[in-house]
Amino acid sequence: MSRLCHFFRTPEAIAGASILALLVVVALAAPLLFSGDSQAIAGPALLPPFQDWSLPLGTDRLGRDVLAELFHGARTSLAVGLAAAAAALLIGSIIGTLAGFAGGLVDEVLMRITDAFQTVPSFLLALAFVSIVGPSLGVVVAAIALGAWTGPARVARAEVLSIRERDYVAGARVLGMHPLEIAFREVLPNVLPSVLALSSVIVAAAILTEAALSFLGLGDPNRVTWGGMIAEGRTVLRTAPFLSVVPGIALVLTVLGVYLAGEGVVESAAARRSLS
Amino acid sequence: MSELTISRRGLLAGSALLLASTALPAIGFAQTPKKGGRLIVAADSEPRNLNPAIVASNGVFFISSKIVETLAEASFDGKDGLQPRLALSWEGAADGLSVTFKLRDGVKWHDGKPFTSADVAFSALQIWKPLQNLGRTVFKDLAAVDTPDDLTAVFKFAKPTPFQLIRNALPALSSVVPKHLYEVGKIEDNPANNAPVGTGPFKFAEYKAGQYYRLTRNDAYWGKDEPYLDEIVYQVLPDRTSAAAALEAEEIQLAAFSAVPLADLDRISKVPGLKVITKGYEGLTYQLVVEINHRRKELADLKVRQAIAHAIDKDFVVKTIFLGYAATATGPVPKNDPQFYTADVPTYSFDVAKANALLDEAGYKRADDGKRFALKLLPAPYFNETKQFGDYLRQALAAIGIDAQIVNNDSAAHIRAVYTDHAFDLAVGPPVFRGDPAISTTILVQSGIPDGVPFSNQGGYKNAELDALIAKASETLDTATRTELYKDFQKKVAADLPLINVAEWSFISVARDTVGNIANNPRWAVSNWADTYLES
Repeated sequence: MSRLCHFFRTPEAIAGASILALLVVVALAAPLLFSGDSQAIAGPALLPPFQDWSLPLGTDRLGRDVLAELFHGARTSLAVGLAAAAAALLIGSIIGTLAGFAGGLVDEVLMRITDAFQTVPSFLLALAFVSIVGPSLGVVVAAIALGAWTGPARVARAEVLSIRERDYVAGARVLGMHPLEIAFREVLPNVLPSVLALSSVIVAAAILTEAALSFLGLGDPNRVTWGGMIAEGRTVLRTAPFLSVVPGIALVLTVLGVYLAGEGVVESAAARRSLS
Repeated sequence: MSELTISRRGLLAGSALLLASTALPAIGFAQTPKKGGRLIVAADSEPRNLNPAIVASNGVFFISSKIVETLAEASFDGKDGLQPRLALSWEGAADGLSVTFKLRDGVKWHDGKPFTSADVAFSALQIWKPLQNLGRTVFKDLAAVDTPDDLTAVFKFAKPTPFQLIRNALPALSSVVPKHLYEVGKIEDNPANNAPVGTGPFKFAEYKAGQYYRLTRNDAYWGKDEPYLDEIVYQVLPDRTSAAAALEAEEIQLAAFSAVPLADLDRISKVPGLKVITKGYEGLTYQLVVEINHRRKELADLKVRQAIAHAIDKDFVVKTIFLGYAATATGPVPKNDPQFYTADVPTYSFDVAKANALLDEAGYKRADDGKRFALKLLPAPYFNETKQFGDYLRQALAAIGIDAQIVNNDSAAHIRAVYTDHAFDLAVGPPVFRGDPAISTTILVQSGIPDGVPFSNQGGYKNAELDALIAKASETLDTATRTELYKDFQKKVAADLPLINVAEWSFISVARDTVGNIANNPRWAVSNWADTYLES
């Protein structure tokens, strides 16, 4: 309860949380509001926004409802963002914990692999991965996670290095617990808060990467994505700018919302720490 | 030799025109061309091999047709739709075993050596027949080229070859390259492939990768007073949206091959100083085709193919995807072809109820989720329109309970997936009609074509009757009989639907008002531009 109070103390956190809440509602409501196919042709092509109230945001080059596409695009963006971030955090904290806890050769090997991944720009990595394997939702998630797990891994390792010297870890050793059991049952849960603080940055980056991939035509072609919508609108940018602007605004708001909410979480955590 | 009695132009005007004409200001009004000036043109691709004798494609012709000339060029009002270039006349023997070309006198290569029949013989035998993508089919029976004197070349064929086919092939397939530069070493690795030497009105000057190609005036050109321009610069603008902005900013004076997106044409036609030209591409018609993999048991059923044909609203495709700059198709020969087209073929009206009924009849009932079966759909990535049609087709198929999953690939991966690996159920392709069905149209339905040949029948379709018809037409010498056979071919293809022809379209040019003599032949963008000029 107090955690929530702390969280809602800053206006940024409130703004972020409301944007995110709205987004989640939109994503969940999409199939209810726009039954059937999100890409169904609903009216005349290139109808400007606010002309016909059954198609409030107008239609695209083929006459598909932009609002319906926007709502369904929110699903893709959120799904990819959350799934990629979850995968990145999971892989990152496991590898970081193993490296930090085991030390020695294992640490060296794992950290050099992490370095190797970090030296390659994560977007290039995603681009190459999707081009080779072929675009589909799962592949896009994997591609983004591939470039995003290194941050959590480094943070987790750093935390583990300090935690593994604590008394309760020594106690667990004396009790004869298996090292892996200590690592994942005693150490990892205490590492998680710091790693989770990274999550907002990762989710925001993942949403942007997904949009960039779709913009380049490497998203899942059978789903509406905001990046894909911007790319499609680009060819008619001079005559129908709303086709690119509308999903662009949605993208900006989403990333902003995720970021602000993330900030709120970090600040409330800091406030709690200073109180205790 | 029986000849067509209808003129090419008359038929063009009379038939349902391919391109709805928009503003067509001031094309062809008489004016004395001015000499000098540099024409800057948008180029959207950068072909590395600029030898049109090996790579007969529009991307290569766009640049190299100004440097390397063909024996004849397409023409609106010339006899048989041709006008002389390096050849002055051509005549086919009655037995179809030889064609005699009389060549132009006093023509010099850009390096000063004289052009002779030996160059024609070398190009035909060493390049067109064995190496050229299209020449391999048309010149497959070419056995020898006799050169009784420097200005006569006699093509000898091992099997009777229709003169009509050779004539129709001249504009695109007969680029002549200099023997003295190509006879040493491997032809594919010759440096002249990247810096071509020809007889054309312009000489190759330089190429800066990612920036431009520059051609300069050939002062020794055979055409009187030609060329008018001093220089042509091809500014590389790979981003299609930038060509319109460059035209408005007067950085370029001409954007051919629809470098300006269709959706921008309406706006740009209202910009003072710019004109939108829909003429000049009549000989370069692209066809929007649904390629079908007949190895899929559902698609091997004619009823299913008919259902798909009925599910496609061709008018919608023309109106919405092509914004009216296209025509609906009835069969494998485009409506604007003056020689072969027939409208007397089975047609498929847009009728979703009928399509559903046909699928029910074929035994593919809708499951509880409303779907009958799923297909893999591969839209070709070369054009915005092919990709958009892929999106449209997915929706059109959804309406009849077919769940099409789109697979996007880049150009190389698409060609491999469709034409080598056959990893598709439906594909959207843009084959080109090149003035004669035997050049690049019949291979879309003919069986027995090896794997990996792009833009050919790789859908596993086999129809002995059609194969026999194609074989018969390829050795029929009489023009009228041959034309009738191809009309029959169109009927059979439209009836059995080895593929579905949806629409046919061509390109649009946008130019500044100051550019003169634009679009004065049916292959203007890929012709030699000797008479093009700049007013100011």
